[in-house]
Amino acid sequence: MTPSRLDLQALALGYEGRAFMRGIDLRVDASEIVAILGPSGSGKSTLLSAIAGVVPPLDGRILIDGRDVTRAPIHERDVGLIFQEPLLFPHLDVASNIAYGLRRHGQTRKAAHLRATELLEWLGLGGYERRRVNELSGGQAQRVALARALAPRPAVLCLDEPFSALDADLRQRLAVEVSAMLRESGVAAIHVTHDPTEARTVADRVIELSALGEAL
Amino acid sequence: MRRRTSPVITASIAVLASALLLAGCASSGADGSDAVEPAASEPQTVQLLAHDSFVVSDDLITALKEDTGITLEIISGSDAGTMVAGAVLAAGNPTGDVMFGVDNTLLSRALEADVFEPYESPELTSVVPALRADTAEGRVTPIDFGDVCINIHDAAFTDIDAPSTLDDLIDPTYRDMLVVEDPGTSSPGLAFLLATIARYGDGWTDYWAALRDNDVKVAASWTDAYFGEFSGGGEGTRPIVVSYATSPPAEIVYAEEPKPEAPSTSVMADGCYRQVEYAGVLAGARNPEGARAVIDWLLSEGVQSDVPMSMFVFPAREGIALPAVFTDFVPTIDSPLQLPPDDVAAGIAGWLAEWGAVMGR
Amino acid sequence: MTPTLPGWLRWSWLPPGAFLLVFLVYPLAVLAVTVTSDSGGGVISTLASPTLWQVTGLAAGQAAASTVVALLVGLPLANVVSRYRFRGRAFAQALVTVPFVLPTVVVALAFRSLLGDGVPQGLVLVVMAHAYVNLAVVARIVGAQWAQHSGDYESVARTLGASRWRAFVDVTLPSLRPAIAASAAVVFVFSFTSLGIVLLLGDPTTRTLESQILRQTSVLLDFPGAAATALVQLVIVSTVLLLGAAASRRSATRRSRPPALRPLPSSVSGRAAVRITAVIGALIVLAPVAALVASSLRSSRGWTLSWWTSLGSVDAGTTRLSPPSEAITTSLAYAALTALIAAGVGGLAAIASLTSGRSRIIAVLALIPLGVSAATLGLGTLLAFGRPPMDLRATGLLIPLAHALVAVPLVIAVVAPSLRSTDTRMSAVAATLGARPTRAFWTTYGPVLRIVMVAAAALAGAVSLGEFGAATFLGRAAAPTVPVQIVRLLGRPGEQSLGVAAVLAVVLVVMTLLLVMLVDRWATPLRRTTAQENPA
Repeated sequence: MTPSRLDLQALALGYEGRAFMRGIDLRVDASEIVAILGPSGSGKSTLLSAIAGVVPPLDGRILIDGRDVTRAPIHERDVGLIFQEPLLFPHLDVASNIAYGLRRHGQTRKAAHLRATELLEWLGLGGYERRRVNELSGGQAQRVALARALAPRPAVLCLDEPFSALDADLRQRLAVEVSAMLRESGVAAIHVTHDPTEARTVADRVIELSALGEAL
Repeated sequence: MRRRTSPVITASIAVLASALLLAGCASSGADGSDAVEPAASEPQTVQLLAHDSFVVSDDLITALKEDTGITLEIISGSDAGTMVAGAVLAAGNPTGDVMFGVDNTLLSRALEADVFEPYESPELTSVVPALRADTAEGRVTPIDFGDVCINIHDAAFTDIDAPSTLDDLIDPTYRDMLVVEDPGTSSPGLAFLLATIARYGDGWTDYWAALRDNDVKVAASWTDAYFGEFSGGGEGTRPIVVSYATSPPAEIVYAEEPKPEAPSTSVMADGCYRQVEYAGVLAGARNPEGARAVIDWLLSEGVQSDVPMSMFVFPAREGIALPAVFTDFVPTIDSPLQLPPDDVAAGIAGWLAEWGAVMGR
Repeated sequence: MTPTLPGWLRWSWLPPGAFLLVFLVYPLAVLAVTVTSDSGGGVISTLASPTLWQVTGLAAGQAAASTVVALLVGLPLANVVSRYRFRGRAFAQALVTVPFVLPTVVVALAFRSLLGDGVPQGLVLVVMAHAYVNLAVVARIVGAQWAQHSGDYESVARTLGASRWRAFVDVTLPSLRPAIAASAAVVFVFSFTSLGIVLLLGDPTTRTLESQILRQTSVLLDFPGAAATALVQLVIVSTVLLLGAAASRRSATRRSRPPALRPLPSSVSGRAAVRITAVIGALIVLAPVAALVASSLRSSRGWTLSWWTSLGSVDAGTTRLSPPSEAITTSLAYAALTALIAAGVGGLAAIASLTSGRSRIIAVLALIPLGVSAATLGLGTLLAFGRPPMDLRATGLLIPLAHALVAVPLVIAVVAPSLRSTDTRMSAVAATLGARPTRAFWTTYGPVLRIVMVAAAALAGAVSLGEFGAATFLGRAAAPTVPVQIVRLLGRPGEQSLGVAAVLAVVLVVMTLLLVMLVDRWATPLRRTTAQENPA
């Protein structure tokens, strides 16, 4: 049996020093999309922050591709982050945004930009390399953000309500497109949302946050 | 192998050297002056701290350079008070070598702070006898003096007599005619206040109360008083002002063409306050020798003759011919009022406060 | 420290902290020691001097009057400029800010040019000038809060029978109280510590402790007394600022909503009132400046360019002054140095405010110079660094250091908000892409910093150009700055002095406005770059 790409073991989470959940166990395999459902403010974002390494968990272990990354800094974890806002780097053009992760991993500018161009084609945004980020529409920007996150081939991708800033039918379209892309890329994806329909469209498994572990 | 320098080269150097030496001697004697000081003719710079009313003709500065090799760098740009305050703060580590412009109201503070290094100039023997000993135990040298006096616009006094004493100023005849300067912000204003203290002793506050009752006007500065309020200086309405004994000649000199024959103002000889300006070598100066030479220069005939028309003050040196406008239009002030510098330093803050209280300011 | 910030950030408070310690705290300590060093009379007698408290009373009265007038003129302007949408509104808002950025010496000269013949020097002229400078303070602070105030409360009051005026007094004013308190505190402190305006437009009834410090230093040569005056003023000013901050705390929580501009009132009279107020406001702002420009071109013989052409020459007459053009280069040199120092120190302090924990405090501490007056800083710096053991006179840095102290709070005020409004999640994203903490930091904040730091440096330069109080104390006598030169020229008789002073003032205005326009253009960078603002 291939090991899961993401393995959370007895994770305990807190917010501003106070624990709100513990005993979180979760496994996500390659090309699998797990949706975590829960109302706003219930701690979904904290879960993602813990996985990415932005905040430390109060207890438990996080394993990515079999490696224990519980104490590892963000840049060594091999995790991608997508937020509700695309958060593209405003001073870089589209291609440079996508190439950013590749450059950090040691690729030459030429190779990185080549890969960026490939990804843009894959997304249906061929020709957008030199565009400034403020010229993109909401849907386009979010797709570029996705390409940027996937370019360095992370093991795990955390998506924090990635479509809630978009309008309804774009949301639906993008949800379908994006989940197809994710499966193709082989990442283990955790998709956090408050919308049950979106969860069902996107994910292989839908889990209520409250069912993940023991609420405190 | 070059053990011996070529004889030709040695000879050429010798010739060049002698030629330069000769040229040097020749140029220093070229102006025909006999007074060549061999020791002091190496080029040097002396920094002179002065207030921004210090003016001396450029050819005198050039002559100084030619005679002694000293390039005089004048550092000015503030009034006397600020200049002395800076010197007091920097005592022992001054920004210049010699300071000119300390007057008898500021002298005590400067001496207290050990700003000066004693120096007795040989030129002192040529100074007017009254000032010869006025050197604060050799620490400063008097350079010039002037008197702050009441000035009168003659045209206003054809029907009535012009005031002639300080007591006249509180006479109702002269109500609403006098303008003085605030002693806290103006040097002549302060001098006039000190004159009244010297004259009336402890009763000076009563005198000022009487002046106030006589509708005296207080201006913030001499400029405001003389050009703003004084009828003889500009567009003012008051014919009596506190100014300088040398203001009448100044009036003629600065008038537009064609210049008038006589000034429209005259000086009241009573109640004048004598201001003496001193120069001194700054303790801790980088070039004390140069500083001393500059003090000698300040007392030299050349500068002392220049002083009347440059700064409108009187030379400290005896026997200087005064320009015609001075001898014609400036009266001799026989017994000007003066207070000892130590008394001034000790009392000034209190006097200013009391003056403010009396005058309701 | 959240994991996404680089470790060295922990130390970013150190350079600003050291700077403040050496160049602010130490001079203040020297001042305190100087008070006790009096040869005759003790600390008690210096502090009990009747003149000190008399001047305090005079200054407080004048400051109160200035505050009232500023509020009376500023409130209608606040209403018009911040709440209604009309053509030319942005221009009106920029115009209202102009008096605040002008050097005080320039404002004083402008008022003299405009009203000098009609209004005598004294309280009236001084109060008018103070109100003029502070229009923007009132208009912006009160205006910002007023704009967030929905008119619903007044409507309810009207339906309950209140007249429009009553509704204003009972409902609107109380809700504006925090902003009014804050702006009143600022205007009061400004007027209380005024120096240039009081020297040029005032008379003995408008003395301030600031001018008293100057008098005690240069006329009475009473350093202990001057130091005592400075410290008393510091205590008073700090108290007023703290009271103002406390009174305005309520408004701090409601900053997040953007102001809602409403269309002009529907009634003809309503529209007319708004338009007239705007026009009158514009006239009030422009008239003194126009008068200043006019007096730079006038002489007793009519219009002339001779004052402008005489910038490079020296007029000896009975006083010696260096050429005005030299003053301009001196001022520019100091401004450049100030910009460098203030940008460095303030920038680091602003970056330190990003961290959590104690490093944040440095950003607050760095605001202290706001409460320390110019003369206090000047005297303190002079006493601390103008003589041995630490004699910095020869370095020419005394003025830039004092100016930098004054400018650092403003640099922080420009840089910190831009940094804070940058989404921190961006550095998390950069980190997930493999960027190490330092790299992630520069990717996130670098673009903002590049632009905003230039704006902050320009602001610091503008402050230095117009500063008068500290420069009076610290300037080398022979190389005054432009504001100091203007005051000296105005002390001499003759129309040339007045004309050249006006020319220098106009030059100063142009340079200041150019720098401020730079600040305005670049202080709010990169706002509309996210796709949020573009429809899908």
